[in-house]
Amino acid sequence: MDFDFSDDQEQLRDAVRKWVDKGYSFERYRAAVKAGGFERAAYTEMAELGLSGLYVPEEHGGMGMGPVEGMVVMEELGRGMVLEPLKQSLIAGALLAGYAPEAVKAQWLPKIAGGEALIVMAYQERAARYRLDICETCASQTATGWELTGGKSVVPAGDQADAFIVPASVDGKIALFLVPRSASGVSTRGYGTQDGSRAAELSLQNADAALITLDGLSALEHAVDIGIAATCAEAVGVMDKTMAITAEYLNTRKQFGVFISSFQALRHRMADMKMQLELGRSMSYYAALKLNAPTAERRAAMARAKYQLGTSMRFVGQQAVQVHGGIGVTDEYIVSHYFKKLTQMEMTFGDSMHQLGEVASRMQDTAGVFA
Amino acid sequence: MASLKTRAERVGNKYIVNGQKTWTILGQYGEWIFCLVRTSNEGKPQTGISFLLIDMKSPGVTVRPTVLLDGEPEVNEVFFDNVEVPVENLIGEENKGWTYAKHLLSHERTNIADVNRAKRELERLKRIAKAEGVYTDTRFRDEIAKLEVDVVALEMLVLRVLAAEKSGKQSLDIAGLLKIRGSEIQQRYSELMMLAAGPYALPLIHEAMEAGWQGDAVGAAYCAPLASTYFNMRKTTIYGGSNEVQRTIVAQTVLG
Repeated sequence: MDFDFSDDQEQLRDAVRKWVDKGYSFERYRAAVKAGGFERAAYTEMAELGLSGLYVPEEHGGMGMGPVEGMVVMEELGRGMVLEPLKQSLIAGALLAGYAPEAVKAQWLPKIAGGEALIVMAYQERAARYRLDICETCASQTATGWELTGGKSVVPAGDQADAFIVPASVDGKIALFLVPRSASGVSTRGYGTQDGSRAAELSLQNADAALITLDGLSALEHAVDIGIAATCAEAVGVMDKTMAITAEYLNTRKQFGVFISSFQALRHRMADMKMQLELGRSMSYYAALKLNAPTAERRAAMARAKYQLGTSMRFVGQQAVQVHGGIGVTDEYIVSHYFKKLTQMEMTFGDSMHQLGEVASRMQDTAGVFA
Repeated sequence: MASLKTRAERVGNKYIVNGQKTWTILGQYGEWIFCLVRTSNEGKPQTGISFLLIDMKSPGVTVRPTVLLDGEPEVNEVFFDNVEVPVENLIGEENKGWTYAKHLLSHERTNIADVNRAKRELERLKRIAKAEGVYTDTRFRDEIAKLEVDVVALEMLVLRVLAAEKSGKQSLDIAGLLKIRGSEIQQRYSELMMLAAGPYALPLIHEAMEAGWQGDAVGAAYCAPLASTYFNMRKTTIYGGSNEVQRTIVAQTVLG
């Protein structure tokens, strides 16, 4: 198998890495956290690099790229702990392109690609936990279209986004809708989250909505799978940077007259962290490989990938703090921020325990990369 | 600890203290501080340490809070710049501070196992898990069950250590285990509580973590501080002698 990246993919990686290294410093991140967790200018800069339209087809103004390019971009953004949810644009672009009627595509895809419209998934409900098939928000048809009533939680950048992709029940079956934030009946309550990024509660009262598809559950599962693959890739970037920060600290810090990197316990710990990083990287590649597979295969693969990445994220994050000693639990020093990001990512799109259940329920007699 | 550098020089009926302490918990509220200071450079490092009580309002004392990863200034750096301390504030005898410190530490190691809090937190974990609907999920419930056994086993270990102390037998060789296990258990229950809340542990709303807050919660009110507590508890395997250092000490008791 060939796991080398093409020249175009390397150039894409370089472009994003340059933007993060030069334009998204820890100071910029801190300032954005302090200001509420979302800086529109940063999102616009990413759009200008073509990133928001990565998955938008070329005929709608996007880059028309695939899972490997998405993986490369998300890894680089993960390294910089970029707060603005570019991942949501990847999901929205692919979802509308794959499932929406032509009119909705024509209206919104160019805006996603151009950066004018940040569209985010709004699907979390209290009763559902990590399940996608439980939805109390309901939709009713009107003379002019659809109206949605209900509430969604922890919507990424919810009070800053321009539109939402919302699951709602139609006669007991989940359908998917697009709701502009400017629509009547829409209200949001914004707040910061544990990793510093912004989220919001979304309240819908007879809110005007455009139908994306009545086959909502399949589309929602697909959207979440795109999100899982993106999160896996992002986590690889976060873990990679976390390891680099930690290795530098261990090789610089002296205690009892020697560098602490000489302590065998810490050397073995770093080896274990490296194991988790590489298993995680491998399963992020796996997720990218399987993202366009037939539905059942794709769902099973994303569950496996997210389970591995969740395990890796937790271990690398916790141990990076531990081996730093006291400085690791301070706010001033950078590693705790990477740890909190990894913690939040583990609990996004279904935590490890949830994914283990998904893997277990889909098990066949044999298992391998190609089965 | 024996390599501490804060110095106290005896001048007449005063000690002049110079140096710095770090990780001083709740130092920003302290009115007095117990300090281990170096009063002699002769002999082994442990034999030149004294135990001083210092008024934090004394001129030359500066407190600088350190904000932890949960956003709270829980610990501090305390700087001593030619601070004058009356000789009456010496605890016990000069240069015997190491003995007093070791005595205190032996108790820290049983207290730090924090079994009674672990039992209460286990109860709270079960309440939260039930309220969040994960107590009936076998996978989640098994994790709580494992933790329950860990807590009971730790309680037995503590009872053995306490019984041996009471009977006058030395049992410091397993006391190190208490700190290791106790801290791991603290981390695990805080982790499971956060995981029980799931997505509803993610919002960070500072007001919602204040006592007596009556505003709208995202999810249930108890969800608000769970992630912050999980983050804060990462310190337990680091402080009080890191678990790596504790394991080295335990290994010595086994291997010599």
